[in-house]
Parts: sequence; C-alpha cells; structure tokens
Amino acid sequence: MNTLVTLLLQRIRRDRLQLLIWIFGIALLALFSVSAVEKTYGDPAGRQNILQLAVANPSILMLRGTPEGGGLDQFVFFEIFTFIAVLAGLMNTFLSVRHSRAEEESGRAELLAATPAGRTLPTVATIVFGALVNVVNGLFVALAFIAGGLDAKGSFVAGCATAAVGLTFLAVGLFAAQLMRTSRGANGVAAAAVTAAYVIRGIGDALGTPSADHLHMTVAWWSWISPIGWGQQTLAYDANTLTPLLLNLALTAAFLSLVFVLQAQRDSGASLLAGRLGRVAARNSLSSSLGLAWRLQWPTVVGWCVGSAFGGLLTGSLAHAVAGAATADPTVEKVMEGLIPGGTGSLVQLFISAIFVMVGVLAAACATQVIIRMRQEEVAGTAEQVLATRVSRARWLIGYLTVGTVSIVLVLLSGAAASGLSAVAVGDTSARIGDSFAAAAAQLPAALLYLSVLALVFVALPGWTVGLGWTLLGLGTVFGLFGGLVGMPEWIRDISPFTHSPVPIGTSTDWSGGVWMLCIAVVVAILATVGMKRRELNTA
Amino acid sequence: MNTVIEAHGLEKRYGRVRALDGLDLSVDAGEVHGFLGPNGAGKSTTILVLLGLARASGGNATVFGQDPWNDAVELHKRIAYVPGDVSLWPNLSGGEAIDLLSRLRGGTDDKAAYAERKARLIEVFQLDPSKKGRSYSKGNRQKVALVAAFASPADVYILDEPTSGLDPLMEGVFNQEIRRAASLGSTILLSSHILSEVEQLCDRVTIIRAGKTVETGTLAELRHLTRTEVSFARNGLTEADIARIPSVHDLALVNGRARFTVDSDKISSLLPALTELDVKGLRVAPPSLEELFLRHYGDELNPAEASLARSPSRKARRREAAKVASLR
Repeated sequence: MNTLVTLLLQRIRRDRLQLLIWIFGIALLALFSVSAVEKTYGDPAGRQNILQLAVANPSILMLRGTPEGGGLDQFVFFEIFTFIAVLAGLMNTFLSVRHSRAEEESGRAELLAATPAGRTLPTVATIVFGALVNVVNGLFVALAFIAGGLDAKGSFVAGCATAAVGLTFLAVGLFAAQLMRTSRGANGVAAAAVTAAYVIRGIGDALGTPSADHLHMTVAWWSWISPIGWGQQTLAYDANTLTPLLLNLALTAAFLSLVFVLQAQRDSGASLLAGRLGRVAARNSLSSSLGLAWRLQWPTVVGWCVGSAFGGLLTGSLAHAVAGAATADPTVEKVMEGLIPGGTGSLVQLFISAIFVMVGVLAAACATQVIIRMRQEEVAGTAEQVLATRVSRARWLIGYLTVGTVSIVLVLLSGAAASGLSAVAVGDTSARIGDSFAAAAAQLPAALLYLSVLALVFVALPGWTVGLGWTLLGLGTVFGLFGGLVGMPEWIRDISPFTHSPVPIGTSTDWSGGVWMLCIAVVVAILATVGMKRRELNTA
Repeated sequence: MNTVIEAHGLEKRYGRVRALDGLDLSVDAGEVHGFLGPNGAGKSTTILVLLGLARASGGNATVFGQDPWNDAVELHKRIAYVPGDVSLWPNLSGGEAIDLLSRLRGGTDDKAAYAERKARLIEVFQLDPSKKGRSYSKGNRQKVALVAAFASPADVYILDEPTSGLDPLMEGVFNQEIRRAASLGSTILLSSHILSEVEQLCDRVTIIRAGKTVETGTLAELRHLTRTEVSFARNGLTEADIARIPSVHDLALVNGRARFTVDSDKISSLLPALTELDVKGLRVAPPSLEELFLRHYGDELNPAEASLARSPSRKARRREAAKVASLR
C-alpha cells in the first residue's frame, strides 16, 4: 500500500502543472460558454428560433449535439458538452499513455518494475491517479457551470458525465498502450478513438428525429454506441439521469480487464502488435534529405488524410440532407441565406465550405507536425549526421517545406475527393464535386501560412517550435472557427488565418484573402530558408 | 607536409559559458591525430565548428584551407563523421541508415564497390542491419555509425569518442579499420578521453582542457606527462623493501598491498627489483587522463572551472532533451 502511495505521489508531482492547465482550461471553456450564450442568446424567443434552426440542420447537430429544451441551461449543455467531452477524453488518453507506454519505451518502467512495485502496481497507480483526476475535472466543470449561474443539480450531472467520459478514455488509452510498441503509436490510436467517439455520436445526432416543438430530439442508434453520446444522454438540466453513465463505467471496466490480462501475458517493453524487422538495404527513394523527410513523415500524413477523407465523406453525404431540410422548411432556407454574403449562393455550398474549414485545420495540423518532426530530428542528433554530409542547411529545410506542402495538398485532396464522390453516391448533383474541390482549394493558403510561419519559428526560436506550433494552431482554430459562435469580437477573429480563407459560394467569390495569405506564406518561407543558412545547429 | 585541419585561437561562447577559449589545433595530411581532453573540455564543440554546424565566436579554423562555416557542403564531400552519441531514426533499420548516410555523402556512385565495403564492414563489426533503430543498444548504434563512416572513402575522418559503448573485441576491429583507412592515405581526427586508446593509434596528440590547448606533440614528446600506477601484494611487506625499488613516487601501503607511481618511461628499470621481491597480484595501470590532469594541472584548476567541468556535458543535455521530445 505504501508503494502505491509513493507511485501515486510521483504521478501527481510529475503531472501537476500539465493537468492544472488542462483542468482549468476545460473549466474556463465551460464558464466562458455560459457567459457567451447569455450574451448572444439571452432572449428566450431568439433562443428558440436558433434551436429550431439547429434541429433542422444536421451539420450543427453533428458538431454540437442535440438540443434538449429551450432554457438557457439546456442551451449551454447543447452547445458545449461535446467539446468538453473531447477535451476530457484527450486529456485522459495522453495521461494514460504518458504513464504506461511512454514509460516502457524510455526504459523507466523497467527501472520501476525491478523494485517491489513490480509490473502491475504502476498500472494500478495510473488508474487510481486517472480516476482522481477525472473526479477533480468533473467537479471543476460542475463548479464552473454553477458559478455561471446554471442549475446546481444539472451542473452536477454534467460534471459526472464529463468525469465518466474521461474515465472511459483513460481505459482506452491504457489499452492502446498495450497494443502499440511506441508511445507515438499509442497516442495516435487513442486520439483516433476519441475522434471516432465524437464523430459516431455526431452521425447519430444528425440522423435523429426532432420532437413536435423542435426543441428536443430523439437520437439515432449511432449515438448510443459512443462514450461521448452516453454522456450527452444524461440530458443534464432536462431529465438529469445518471443511468447512461453506467455504460461508460461498464466499458471502462471491460477495457481495464483487457489491459490487466494483456499485461500479465507479455514481457516488459513488448506489445501486442509487435515491432517488425526492417529492410537490410534502403530503397532507392531514400537517398536525399527530402526522401528521408518523406520517409519519416508519410505514416502521419496518411493518418491526417484518412481523417480528412472521413470528414469529406460526412460532408458529401450530409449535404443532400441539408438541402432536403432547407427545402422542407422555407424559413430555414431564408435564415441561412441571410448569412451568406450577397445571398446568391446555395445552402449546400455554405455547408460544404463550413465543414472544409475543419479539413483546413487538419491540413494545417499535418503541416505543423512536419515542422515539429524537423525540430525533433535536430534535438535527437540525427539531423547532425545528415548535415555533416553534403546536404546544406537550406536544402534540409526546403526538404521539409516540400514535404509539408505535399502533405497539405494530399490532406485537402483526399477530403475533397471523398466529399465529392460521396455526394454523388447519395444522389446529389455532380456539381458537388466541383464545390468540394473549390472548398478544399480555399483552405490551401491558410494551411501553407501555418507551414511557413512555423518554419520561421523553427529557424529563429528553435526551442519554441513544438509549443508555439500547437498553440498557434489551437488559437487559430478557436478564434477562426468558434469565435463567431461564442461571440468573440471581430478583431480577435481576424487574428486567425482561417477567418481570411475564401468562401467559395455562388458566382462571386472573393479570393483576395487567400491570395494575400499565399503571398505572405511564400515570403515567410523564403525568409526562413535564408535564415537557416545563417543558423547554427541548436540541440538545447 | 600539408596541413588538413588548422585552428588558431578558436573561441565559442554559449551565452556566458566559454566552451572554447582560444583553442589551437593542427592536423597534418595522412596522420592519425588524437584529440584528448576530459569530459566537457570542448572536444565535441571543436568538432561541430570544424563541421560547420556551429559558428566560431572568435579565432579561425580551416579544413583543407576552406572555411567550414561558409564552405560546409563543399568540405563535407571529403569528410566522414561519427558523432559521440549516435542517435538513429527509430523506424529506419540499421541497414537503411547506413545506405542513407552513404548516399548523402556521395559514396555509393560505384554501387558494386560500395556493396562490397558495406558487406565486409557489417561482417567484421558483427552488426545485424535488419533491426530497427529504436531496438539497437548503445554499442550497436555506434557500430551503425562506424559502418556508415567507413563504407564510403573519405579524405578526413572526424570521429568523436567512437569507441564508447564498444566491447574490447569491437575496439580491436575499430583499431584495424583506422589503420586500414590511414594506410589508404586518409587523415583521422580521433577524439577520446581514454589515453591508452590514443596511444595505440595516434601519431600525434593534442590535449585540451577547459577549451584551451594544453599540450600538443608526438606521444614520445608527451611521455613526460604520464606516470604509471603500480601495485602489488606480498606478505610481510615493509617500507624498507619498497625503498629498494628505484624512482618510486606517492607510495601507499594498505593491507599488505603496496601502491605507487613511476614515470612511464622508467617502467623497465623497475622490473628487476619486483622480481627480487617475488611480488603477487602485480598490477600496472597507465593513468587515466583525468588523473593526469589532476597531477599536472590540478593546482591551476580554479573553482569556476571546476564547476564547469562538473556541469552536464552537451551530450547529457541532448539526451535529456531527446527524452523530453519523445514524451510529446
């Protein structure tokens, strides 16, 4: 028991800052959304209107969830719970992999397993620690909602739902750590599981049936196979039932038993999906620094392409339903058309463009990872060996910029192709193919801007590459995509490149924002390359 | 004779830390040059400057008469480099890493000759090239870098503590490969903190400490620096017995075991006396470089320098950084 306490304290000591940021961040998001909803939709009649609109629009249902009543409290839960659930999920998968596979990979787990702690107790400690973290996180979410002035009982239910979803993904993360040989792989699998849970409940919500008053919805069965969906079905501030969370606990228990069974069977450091032997000689493609950059990065690029194709698939197949909803309800069409500049475009085009901003974020994230890989190569010392050959520093950087550009194009193309083809497959007009590719092209400049700006950061402030890379992307996403929804001032939204991406609707699309960003991206990339010629290797 | 590597008053500052503080180095064509110094003396920093991966803050350095910072790519066509702490790409096999580095160096133009050299080196170093980078031990990572370096001919080999992590058998193989390269006319700069390794291989050595050159010359010239430690056991040993042995310094008698030092060039004069005493468990150990420095320069070591010498090396910091990066 003493050993367990020691291990527990070590985890708290190690994670205290990181988890405080996560938990405070999530609580602040909850608090912020309450005040934003109060400010924007404080008027009950306006709120009902917007909810009736949402119920008819699968894309909103997909992104947010299903409305369960027209009160302010219910509206907040509808608007923000799925995001909170995704964040709680990611916090947990990163936590569990950090304390399991990452420890094994680095050899630290071996050091601990050789003490009386053994092989199992560290895992138990991680589970206890994770459970504590989720209780605290749930408590903070509940307190944030209560502080915002929402109903205490409903806030408690929302907190419980957050904790239960988080706990499920703690178990998922530990399971992924059993499967994969590297922490990178385990993090990837676990984060994909969180995304899948979000998307699956999105499908269920989008395919749901609205009630007569258009303020409630009965979700389709999809939502009942997602841990995040179970959290939503607590119907906080409405029915306030904790029963669906039993499903979260059951799934958690199932994954944890699998974890213990697998761990008891295998050697320390081994994995269920074993690492394979490599080739004795390199392929011809691996003979330049560009070839190396591509070789190191392509599996990640494929991952982002699959994500983008998935997004495109949903866009294409849902576009038809959106058009159906609009024609069935003329008021919806009227309101949505009011949102479009000039009012000349179609609702479907707007929908496709809106979703493709997210595909743009995926492309920018992929580019961010390419530059981060370059930094990791420098820190690990492998770059030193490459740069001691006849590869110049500038050419090395250009190799990564090239791979970054190709990755962005591939991510956007796979999204566009999936969107266009799935639209045609569900019986939409072939014009959707063109719309999809136009929407994808519109996202290219913003993603390229992210690539070149981070490359410049890498050249000028190497130590900041990883932190600033994800921060810039996160801020750009929040300001650009959700800034409007939560009522941020325009100048903050203008900071985000995504705000300036062209919106190809109708006949008169304004491409100037894209052209500007493209020019800036090229100039910044040239600056980075010139700067790289003058920069030393920096491994600190 | 042509000078291949030349450095005068080389300085390198990292913030307030002076990694190099007026270092001089001169390596002639075709020689095996030992580059000696305790940990943290600035060996790796010098090498980074010579490779044009770090820019000197003062002084000047040339390789083949060219500036390493400005003409890096041109120079790298003639240089093979083995870093002190080899890291490999986790998902590339050792064989792939060897091919990649050789191709980047331009040593694979004659495919058949390259394949033959690679196969021979993999054989003598007993390397399994199909394993992934992440699953190699430290010694095996070192072997991958050595095979990659020797698999393409180079005019200069710059090797930063190349034998760290190798077992004695492999050190022997390494020595053979160095002699082979030297016999083909290559110049070799071999950094090390192990004096005996350098003694076996090098024509000349440069000894540095705290970023400065303290000694340079042939080993014979430097012989006066070394003093060998001798120890042995014998029942009923007295100080009078020891007094019969010539040129003994620093004598200590502990538990019937005598320990003292002798100037390295006077070892042979010791042997008759040792035979006469009928000693048991005789041990003759050349001093480590650190001991040597303590003996010759210990009094000059001011507190600031002493703390600098104890601060984590660049390599240790790099390993820490790599660990942090792997967590992300």
